[in-house]
Formats: sequence, C-alpha cells, structure tokens
Amino acid sequence: MKALTANRLSDGEVVFWKAGTWVERFAEAELFSVDEPAILAEGQAKSQPTVVVDAYLIDLIESEGLWAPVSYRERIRALGPTNHIHHGKQAEGGDAILALQHAHGAARSSGRVNLIKRK
Amino acid sequence: MYQYDSLDRDILADRSAEFRDQVARRLSGEITEEHFKPVRLMNGLYLQLHAYMLRVAIPYGSMNAKQLHKLADIGRRYDKGYGHFTTRTNLQFHWIKLADTPDILDELASIDMHAIQTSGNCIRNVTADPYAGATADEIDDPRVWSEAIRQWSSLHPEFSFLPRKFKIAITASAKDRTVAKAHDIGLMVRRARDGTLGFEVIVGGGMGRTPFIGPTIREFLPAHRLFSYLEAILRVYNRHGRRDNIYKARIKILVSALGREAFAREVEEEWSKVGEAGDLPDTEIARIRGAFSRKAFETLPAQSEVYDAAVSADPGFARFARNNLKPHKRQGYTIVEISLKGIGETPGDATSDQMDVVADLAERFGQDDVRVTHEQNLVLPHVKLDDAPEVYRALAAAGLGTPNINLISDIIACPGLDYCALANARAIIVAQDIARRFADQDRAEQVGELKIKISGCINACGHHHVGHIGILGVDKKGEEFYQLTLGGSGAEDAAIGKILGPALPLDRVTDAIDTLVDVYLRERQGDERFLDTYRRTGDAPFKEAVYAETH
Ligand code: HEM
Ligand code: SF4
Repeated sequence: MKALTANRLSDGEVVFWKAGTWVERFAEAELFSVDEPAILAEGQAKSQPTVVVDAYLIDLIESEGLWAPVSYRERIRALGPTNHIHHGKQAEGGDAILALQHAHGAARSSGRVNLIKRK
Repeated sequence: MYQYDSLDRDILADRSAEFRDQVARRLSGEITEEHFKPVRLMNGLYLQLHAYMLRVAIPYGSMNAKQLHKLADIGRRYDKGYGHFTTRTNLQFHWIKLADTPDILDELASIDMHAIQTSGNCIRNVTADPYAGATADEIDDPRVWSEAIRQWSSLHPEFSFLPRKFKIAITASAKDRTVAKAHDIGLMVRRARDGTLGFEVIVGGGMGRTPFIGPTIREFLPAHRLFSYLEAILRVYNRHGRRDNIYKARIKILVSALGREAFAREVEEEWSKVGEAGDLPDTEIARIRGAFSRKAFETLPAQSEVYDAAVSADPGFARFARNNLKPHKRQGYTIVEISLKGIGETPGDATSDQMDVVADLAERFGQDDVRVTHEQNLVLPHVKLDDAPEVYRALAAAGLGTPNINLISDIIACPGLDYCALANARAIIVAQDIARRFADQDRAEQVGELKIKISGCINACGHHHVGHIGILGVDKKGEEFYQLTLGGSGAEDAAIGKILGPALPLDRVTDAIDTLVDVYLRERQGDERFLDTYRRTGDAPFKEAVYAETH
C-alpha cells in the first residue's frame, strides 16, 4: 500500500493526496494498493508546482487495523515532533493518531519510494 | 552594543522588499522552486519536515532587550509561541509560513535584525565568547573584532559564493567558550611581549562527517593586519577549495590535503599581494570599539550583603549561584548564565513568555545586554550581586532557574528527526531522557562538569564530536541507533571524541550514560572531571562496562 505526500508551498504544511486535491490528515489520504495509479498521481502532483513542493510516494504498513507509513520519518511528518506532543497534527488526537503513534518498524531509508538522497 | 547606521538599515529594507517580490513570484508560479530555493536559503528560510524554518542571525550571539522582545513577539504571532536557540548562537523558528516570511523580515529589520548569511556558502555568523566584555580573563573584547568581521563580510561579493559555508570564531580568554578550534577559522586574541595586540590564527577545524581540530597556521598576527590576512585565507580557499565534491568542499579538507605548512605558505604569499590595502583603518576599529565601551559600571564593594543573605537563606539560590553565576571583571557584579535545559524540556527552546522575562531582566538589571551561548543557553553578562537573588527568583518563576550549567543535564542537542529533513534519528528526546535520569541535582553536582552533545546525523550540528560524551544518531536498518564517542572537547583542550563501540538502540542509551558515569565515579582521582579520568584511563574500563551485558 502506498500514499502520496508533499509539503504545501504556501506554509510548508505536510499534505497528502486525495483524488486530485490535498488533505492535511494522513487518515484521509488516498491509499494506492497498486502502483500504476499511484505513479500517475505522483506525476499529476508534480505538475502542481504552485500548490506543493516535492511530492513523493511513501510505503505503508498496517498498524492496529489502520495504515501507517513504514518509515519513522514519515510517521513524524504525519504526526508532528515527538518532543512537543501538542504541536503539529498529533494535537488533534483520536484513533487514527494513536495508530500512527503505535506503529512499529521504522525506516528513513525504506519508507520513501524512489528515494533520491537530497542534500 | 553596536548601533546600525542608515546604510545598514537601507540594506535591510532593500533586501526585505526584494524577498517580498521573490515570494510573490514564487507563489504565482512565475519562478520555479529550483530558482527560488537558493533565494529563500539566502534569507535563512529552510523547508523542514513540518513547515518552513527561519534562521535569524544573532550577530556573535549578542542582542538587546528590545530585540529579544521582538523575537518573542514574532514567536507568538508567526510561530507557536516559542523559538529555538542553536549551537550557532542563532534563533530558529520552526513553524513558519512562506507567505508570512516577508512580513517577518520587515519585523526583524525594524529592530536591526535579519536572516542574511544564515545559510549558503558564505561567511556565517561569527561565534564569540558569550562572556565578552564581562569576564576578567579576557585580553580584549572579542565583540569589537566580531562586529568588524560582520561588517566586512556582509554581502562581500568575493566571499558570497565560496566552495562551502564558512564559520569564524573569536575568543580572547584562556578559557575557550566558542569551540574556536572546530571552526573554519578560529581566532584567539593574544598579546605579544611588547604589548602588541594580535591573534593566533587557527584554520581548518570543523565537524561534520570529517571532523578536525584546526591547526595553527600563524602564532601571532598583529591585530591591525587581521583583515588582509583573512582575505588571503579566503582567497586561497576560493581558488583551491573542492567545489567538485560537497563532502570535500570545506576548508578543513584543503588544509589537511595540503598540510599545515604548505597551506600557511600559500596564505603568506597571497597576503603579501593583498598588502595593507586589505586592512581596516585603525580609526574604523576605534569607532566600532567605542560602541562596546559605554557600560556604566558602578563602583561597588566586593561583598554584597543581599547576596550573602540569600545564599544562606535560600538553598535554591545557593545552588543556582554555585552553578550558574560566573565571576565578573568588576567587583560587585556577576555573570548570570540562564539554562535553557530545564529537566525534560527541549534543549535551546525558549517560549515567547520566557524571552520576555529575560529581556525585562536585562533591561532592569542587566545593562540591556543578552547573550546566546553555543551551548544553547542565555547569559545576562552584567548583573549586580545585589540584584542576583531577585533575578534568580524571576527566572525560577518563569521555569528558567535550572541550576545545571556545565553539568550532565546541560546537554546540546540538534533538532534531529523531530524537525530536520536530513536527520537519521531523533536527538531531543535522547537529551530529555538523560536529563530526567540525572534530575537529582545533588547527584549531578557530584558528577561535576560533563558535556553531553547529541546530533541526529553526521552533519554534527549538535557538536557530538566534541562532547565529553558524544551521541550520534544513525539509521540501522530503519531503526534509530546511537553511536557513543568519548573524550571529545570543545574547549581550549579541544579534541575529537573516539567511538566507543557498536551503536546502541534508543532504549539503551540512557542506561549506557549511567554506566559511563558509574565507571567515572569509580575511577576518578582527586577532582578529575569525567574528561580527565577518561584521558588518564583510556576507553577500556568504559567500553568494558557498557558492552558487558551485550556479550
Ligand atoms: C534545516 C536544518 C539544518 C540543516 C539543513 C543543516 C545542515 C548542515 C550540514 C549539511 C552540515 C555539515 C556541513 C559540512 O560538513 O560541510 C551542518 C553542520 C553544522 N550545523 Fe547544521 N543544519 C541544520 C540545522 C542546524 C542547527 C539547528 C544548528 C545548531 C543547533 C546547526 C549548526 C551546525 C553546526 C555547529 C555544524 C557543524 C560545524 C560545521 O562543520 O560547520 N545546524 N549543518
Ligand atoms: S546534525 Fe543532522 S539531524 Fe541534526 S540538525 Fe544537523 S543536519 Fe539535522
């Protein structure tokens, strides 16, 4: 399973692709079970340079019956910083947030599909 | 402190207007991210994991109350009510919106501040002794030279596109509080036998993936020749630095490849070409010096009854005085160091309310002077002993009374994976966990000076290479692991730490620190610090204890 993520240009907010638009909650992200539409969406996202910066696909795993990013880095993006738990998306709380917080297995290097090492 | 003139203000106004236009064009799609990114970085604006991050320059870590109040205000209005002081003695706002940034730059300009040269391959903010102008053991005021370098290097066309970033530190005390030897250039003020003022010049120190303690390329450079000599160093670097390979582009790689003597020869040769035309006139240095010598110190008795009474009546103050107050050059005064390492808090973070409290205290009791240390703390450099108890009570009421300067919980940590797009692992929570373990101040004082420094990746923004105990976050098959190094120092006895052994998982780090401390307490002789004991015994007893359980 995959999702498509980026940072919004105007404010840097972490956003997720949902049928041509962008949502802030990971729980509302469109999930891709096959690669082809995911890659198509990534292409479309890249043609929205005044909306988002640096769109890329991420791999997901199952956590407590819900989906979570495989990569620890991506979970932090979807939640907020772990040192300030009232900052960022996690402040909202709820089951979807808990599932992300409880997800195990981590990888910076394996979560981002087609990872190109950035400087 | 140094006052901007109309020229400085015009430059900031122009720069801010220019960036406003650039942001508008980026948002409208007129310019691409590829074109825009270098421009935003030149204005200190990074894109991190959750938002944009704005790095505000605090020149040589020195500011006045009005400036700190404004930073607090910006934190409140444009961020989440706080800011993060860094090892570069700058302030970073972590939750900035691109669209707000031009307004923020205008706000900064209104108090003579900016974010210029806080990123990019230029000469960055100079690091200076945070006790400058206050400590008894300084030969000269390093701020004079730092300010002169600031003016000389700001928007200097020849040095705006160096092979890589360039950091200069200046200290004038025997005790180095700047990590001068791990900067691209470290300047140590010296006085020759005949009384001439000058600098020992150290070039090619640095951290990152290839750490070096910089070698001295000139034992004594007369002070009035500083700028021609700096120009010569930068020209040699500009000409020969490795622009082809980002990992080899820092001057440290050039110095180590050529060797100290050959590099020094190249500099001397270039220096003779630059000649005295490259120096600042003495009148200009005198003008700048004037801005720093206007302190109105009173003649006070060495002893303060108010202070002595507070020490005996209030154990909290006594402890604070023991750890956070440092000797001042004027009798009846003290240097107050304010820890931004509250137990369990984020190292270097200060809320806007806390910034306001510190700014108020600086105004009321501290001659309108605040400093930032590279260890992510704040300093009120000129407080009367008579006022110290009241300052302490106000700080403590604001959660700023932690009496742990230089102790085990006074930890440096970079933002790490909680914020930074380059991180491998978190750094802040490691610091928080260790600080909680050593929350007992009696035990912390018994352990004494122990500098723990943590970075979330090999870029070493958290100075782990020079920690007495350094902790480096690494990514091991997708899990956060931490490599320990021992024996580093960022002080006058600078050294790069040595890796202790295989990296440990997150949940074993604090235990390992505890074990290291136990070994130290067992092995220590006399009043040795952790570092001294380690240097005497070597790593064997420490290694054995930490890895005993894993065998
Ligand atoms: C957006 C966040 C940051 C980025 C992208 C970043 C990037 C880097 C990089 C790439 C290096 C290695 C330079 C080299 O080896 O050539 C480095 C080193 C360093 N950075 Fe950062 N950094 C960030 C945040 C910070 C913070 C928060 C601090 C202060 C706490 C800091 C202070 C330093 C220091 C002291 C060094 C080591 C000294 C040196 O070799 O220059 N940086 N940084
Ligand atoms: S050391 Fe690495 S993780 Fe830490 S702030 Fe620097 S680049 Fe980011």
